[in-house]
Amino acid sequence: MKTTLGPIELEVITGTIRSAEVEIEAAVERAARSPMIRDQHDYRVGLYDAKGRKLTGRSYGSLVEPVFEFFGDDINPGDVFFWNDPYNSSGSCGHVPDLCTTVPIFHEDRLLGFAQVFGHHDDIGGCVPGSLPVQVRDQWGEGLVVPPAKLYDRGVLNETAFRIIERNSRLPEHLRGDIDSEIGACQLGSRRLIELAERYGVETLESAFDSIIDNCAETIRRELLPKIADGVYTFEDYIESDGFTRKLFAMRITMTKTAEKITLDFTGTDPEAEGPINWAIDYCEGRFVRKWLGPVLRCLADSPERAAEIDINEGILDVLDVRFPEKGTLVTPHFGRPTGLRFFILIRSLGIFAGVLAKATGGKMPADHETIRIWGMHSRETDGKLSLFREVLGGGGPGRPWADGSDVVHIVPNSRNLPAEFSEQRYPVLVESLALQTDSAGAGKRRGGFGYDKRVRALRDCFLLSNADRSELAPYGVNGGVAGQPYGVSIESDGGGPRSLPGMVDDVPVRAGDLVRLWTTGGGGWGDPLDRETELVHYDVLCGLVTPEAAESEYGVVVTGTGNDLVVDADATERLRDERRRGRDTLGMFDRGEHFRKVQSAGGLVWPEGWSDPDDWPAVTG
Amino acid sequence: MANTLRISVDTGGTFTDVIGIDGETGDVHVVKTPSDREDPSRALLTGIEKVLTQANRGFDSVEMVVHGTTTATNAVLEHEFGGIGLLVTEGFRHIIEIARQSVPDGYGNSFFWVKPPRIVPLHLVREVPERLTYDGSVHRELDEAAVLSAVRELVDAGVTRLGVCLLHSYANPMHEQRIGELLKEAFPGLFVSLSSTVLPEYREYERAMTTLLDVMVKPYCRTYLDRAHQELRARSGELPFLIMQSNGGVVSARAAGEKPVTMLLSGPAGGVLGAIESARGAGIKNIITLDVGGTSTDVALIEDLTIRLTSETVIENYPVKIPMIDIATVGTGGGSLAWVGPNGALKVGPKSAGAVPGPICYRRGGELPTVTDAAAVLGYFPASLVGGDLLLDRASAHSVFHEFGANWDLSAEEIAAGVLEVAVAGQVAGIRQVSTLKGRDPGDYTLVAFGGAGPLLATEVADFLGMTSVLVPPNPGNLSAFGLQVTDVKRDYVRTFVRQVADGVDAEVTPVWQELERQGRDELSEEGINAAGVELIRGADLRYVGEGYEVSVSIPAGVSNEDSLAAVTAEFHAEHDRIYGFSYEGKQEVEIVNLRVQAIGRLHRPELVGVPASTGPVEPAARREVYWRGVGQQDCAIYQRSELGAGSRISGPCVVEEYGATVVVPAHWAASTDSFGNLIMVRRQA
Repeated sequence: MKTTLGPIELEVITGTIRSAEVEIEAAVERAARSPMIRDQHDYRVGLYDAKGRKLTGRSYGSLVEPVFEFFGDDINPGDVFFWNDPYNSSGSCGHVPDLCTTVPIFHEDRLLGFAQVFGHHDDIGGCVPGSLPVQVRDQWGEGLVVPPAKLYDRGVLNETAFRIIERNSRLPEHLRGDIDSEIGACQLGSRRLIELAERYGVETLESAFDSIIDNCAETIRRELLPKIADGVYTFEDYIESDGFTRKLFAMRITMTKTAEKITLDFTGTDPEAEGPINWAIDYCEGRFVRKWLGPVLRCLADSPERAAEIDINEGILDVLDVRFPEKGTLVTPHFGRPTGLRFFILIRSLGIFAGVLAKATGGKMPADHETIRIWGMHSRETDGKLSLFREVLGGGGPGRPWADGSDVVHIVPNSRNLPAEFSEQRYPVLVESLALQTDSAGAGKRRGGFGYDKRVRALRDCFLLSNADRSELAPYGVNGGVAGQPYGVSIESDGGGPRSLPGMVDDVPVRAGDLVRLWTTGGGGWGDPLDRETELVHYDVLCGLVTPEAAESEYGVVVTGTGNDLVVDADATERLRDERRRGRDTLGMFDRGEHFRKVQSAGGLVWPEGWSDPDDWPAVTG
Repeated sequence: MANTLRISVDTGGTFTDVIGIDGETGDVHVVKTPSDREDPSRALLTGIEKVLTQANRGFDSVEMVVHGTTTATNAVLEHEFGGIGLLVTEGFRHIIEIARQSVPDGYGNSFFWVKPPRIVPLHLVREVPERLTYDGSVHRELDEAAVLSAVRELVDAGVTRLGVCLLHSYANPMHEQRIGELLKEAFPGLFVSLSSTVLPEYREYERAMTTLLDVMVKPYCRTYLDRAHQELRARSGELPFLIMQSNGGVVSARAAGEKPVTMLLSGPAGGVLGAIESARGAGIKNIITLDVGGTSTDVALIEDLTIRLTSETVIENYPVKIPMIDIATVGTGGGSLAWVGPNGALKVGPKSAGAVPGPICYRRGGELPTVTDAAAVLGYFPASLVGGDLLLDRASAHSVFHEFGANWDLSAEEIAAGVLEVAVAGQVAGIRQVSTLKGRDPGDYTLVAFGGAGPLLATEVADFLGMTSVLVPPNPGNLSAFGLQVTDVKRDYVRTFVRQVADGVDAEVTPVWQELERQGRDELSEEGINAAGVELIRGADLRYVGEGYEVSVSIPAGVSNEDSLAAVTAEFHAEHDRIYGFSYEGKQEVEIVNLRVQAIGRLHRPELVGVPASTGPVEPAARREVYWRGVGQQDCAIYQRSELGAGSRISGPCVVEEYGATVVVPAHWAASTDSFGNLIMVRRQA
């Protein structure tokens, strides 16, 4: 059945491409071998048209441009393109453990598009297992770097290249299995596009691609942009350490919003770092980072349900532009600078974009949340084998106008924590508590989500690792909301009190019987805590999530009694709240927490010339 | 007369289907009666009485009643959450708040996604001082006084249903059982479910959720089943009253009420069993079922006529880890509404017109376009349905579609065909969930289509998926009730028992399997099945050491008990390769995680009754204009299914009409009837 494009074809094609994205994801998970992919779900998939435009939009993706740049028209059925080079892939790969596999899709002799999978692999060499060294000064110490290459040329495997790649991994079998699974998954996705071409004809399919991309741009323009006031806005946020130096590494943006477009300028961002927190995104008109940041705009949809429906595909490029400073900053690093831990700045960039949007929308954006940190314990089994207990722990979600933050969420979809019953079977540990950290959520009319309070007793001598930012600075609160609590980790030995550790450590000795305690970040709050409904504060106290002391100090709510007899003293609360409102200055749009205020008053924050305090902005209340 | 009449009752949203089959004569009696939402037992009894009247028999001739019910599912879907409490080990009070820390779907949804409310609000969760370790040994004794005071507080706060989930209770149920005893004595009216009874399997969050769903549905299921059983007993004396479970087997109503979480798929399971039985008659082994109801569609993939169970079922975001038939549900059915979405997109479902007001053409007040109305507009239906009881209003449907199509400058027929195509694309995505997502190609399977609207859409679904054959069983609207007639008593037993597979492990594993087998034999004998008639199938969930997920396998027929461990290990490597495309046989150590036993008590099955051979070419009963997409209006043959004999052949484009369903055969499909009356449609080479 060959047809021209109408609503029926468009709906079926759109739906099929969306479900194909889910299918490709399932195929990757089914056959991949790295736990980072299988269990932590750290991979992304995408379908693209023949021009390299992204059609799918559940998640961000890599890019197809490196194929055009390196191979021009030399694209044939049976080819498989492969790379992980952060500096030679149009900015499409942030760090070397992200391996990217791209397969061209042909219908008869015509190039229809591309299917792509890129994922975080266990090991691609470098100076530490896992290929994410903290103390590394260049890219060559981080692992094997592969520029865009044909792993298969017209169906024929480049065995030599494959062997070199495999030989450079500490887990060659995992690596090979992962790559095979990714190629298989791309081929499955390819079949879906080919079936659509057979059903409706190539021309109809290609017009549908145009419509899918136009509809994304149109949805953003019609539904989301009108909620942002035209103008120029600035914001910034910081990383605490680059592995060598503890100081504030600032990322800065200036947003210019017009009726039709948003332009983000990263000028003012701090110079590149010695350690691996750089992020090379100033390639190919910043296409990667534009698609990465675009989904933040979904927070402006009319409801969270509507937000979840809006796919952000190539259409975002029509409405979101970027400008970069000269070479030599955190986001424009010189070739070869290390990038392994760029996930801190990656996550920070979302928060900074959300921050300028908060200013431009009268505070109608979620607060900040920090959701990626890795912790673990490693030791030697009696037979000498390495036992590595490693986990990605989420943090409290952001407070937002429509709801409190969700507790202990992880930004990577479907990523899971480790059940205590699994951990104890597998590793020499006793999980004494897996709880939510009392008072960790940033206060607000809509408070942040709570972070973890996890307590694990070591049953054998071992070493602790923690890989976390936001251990001093806290996720910021918005529109009068208060910052959440930062991350922390401590060790308590028999007879001694807890010893606090920095967020970034590799190998702190832990003795059998010691208790390791971790508490992860609470989400920033949204809105004035004094406006929070007293019954909600009462309920949080009833549940033990907020202490009576915090109810009073943060929310101005006085409670008495305990258990089923806990009640709010309405009169005292009203008096206290009135008093607080009268006694305070105008509420600011942002609160970055206690530690930030200390650093700032100690002169630890230096703005570049012509840059003024971006936090100098009032909250919009009432 | 002897008690030879087996009666099956399938309660659906709109109708309760009842079938009586006489085991001696083979006579079949089929009845439909309106469902009763308030008290489903009334419709159950009315239906049985109607069947008895039709058969001209009394209650004393009933051999057994087999029942598929949606009581448990409705309680979950209707969020009957009030007054549920939870007891956990000290340190784990936030277990269901934390869940597994996952945010669904896209990257960055954590910004706007809102955590859904929990089944038990945090203030109704209490910690109990006690602790076991993973091998079941006691690390800290149970504080009984603390248990009683905690539950006293919960009861005072209005808790009437309580789940108990202590850490590592799968390895040693002692503390949970003690709590069960204490509560029975101190709080006799409290409904209690213990996680070590519901699901003795590791992973505390999933076990807690399964336990909570069990206790949540318990009062509803017990009340309903007790009442229905009592009413039956009053009329017929003691007789087996068997309830379909999610695993495709039945148990006594009493046993079902003990662990009602096993009833969550009681409704759709019958259809899958019926589809398997039809395929068996047709000599087909590998099928995908397509059960299209009013608001949703259930699909399942069946190989070698054997049900595949999964313990990964998620109902309303809640994981339920007990073994269930692997069924995917899609939110489009015959009553699904068509509407204009964002950017002028054509959308179908998930909102439905339901039974009331229903589709426009049913004349019950419906005014919005539905999938059923689209079929009416295209000319698929006769002037009336269900044997003349339902007079259709095609003109009104047409005029609504005329307006609806004007949104895109399309005619009523063009947009009606489009609505079906979009509905079908949704069902296609559901089938991919049970096939390609599990490494299977739908092209290798036959589609078995049933439910009211299944046969209407089947060929279109098949075309999408590259499937070349479709089977429509006789009476496709009643297949679920028929499926209840061809089931066995089945109970599943599981125990988490983590060990690496190595020499000497046999000696540890065997006693656990034997213990599960003994439990199976005992409980089936309580169901009135003697030990000799009980079939016991060992199975296990295994994984490669270092992996975080398991593969579930059973021992193939014919393997002796001594070789069980070797057999499950070999099956594991093969199944791993099949699902994931690789195995580490010989390279990586294998670990047992759970040991399983399924106990089966075979029930005799009614013989399938054949249809008479055809006596020559079938003549169409009528001719009618039918609209086909890309072709337009075409004068088509309309056949009556009752006039098709074994061996009858017809060619598309045509429509086959019968009581309760309509089969659409497009031009590139042909159909024939087999000796059991199955209509087998085959796609002709393009």
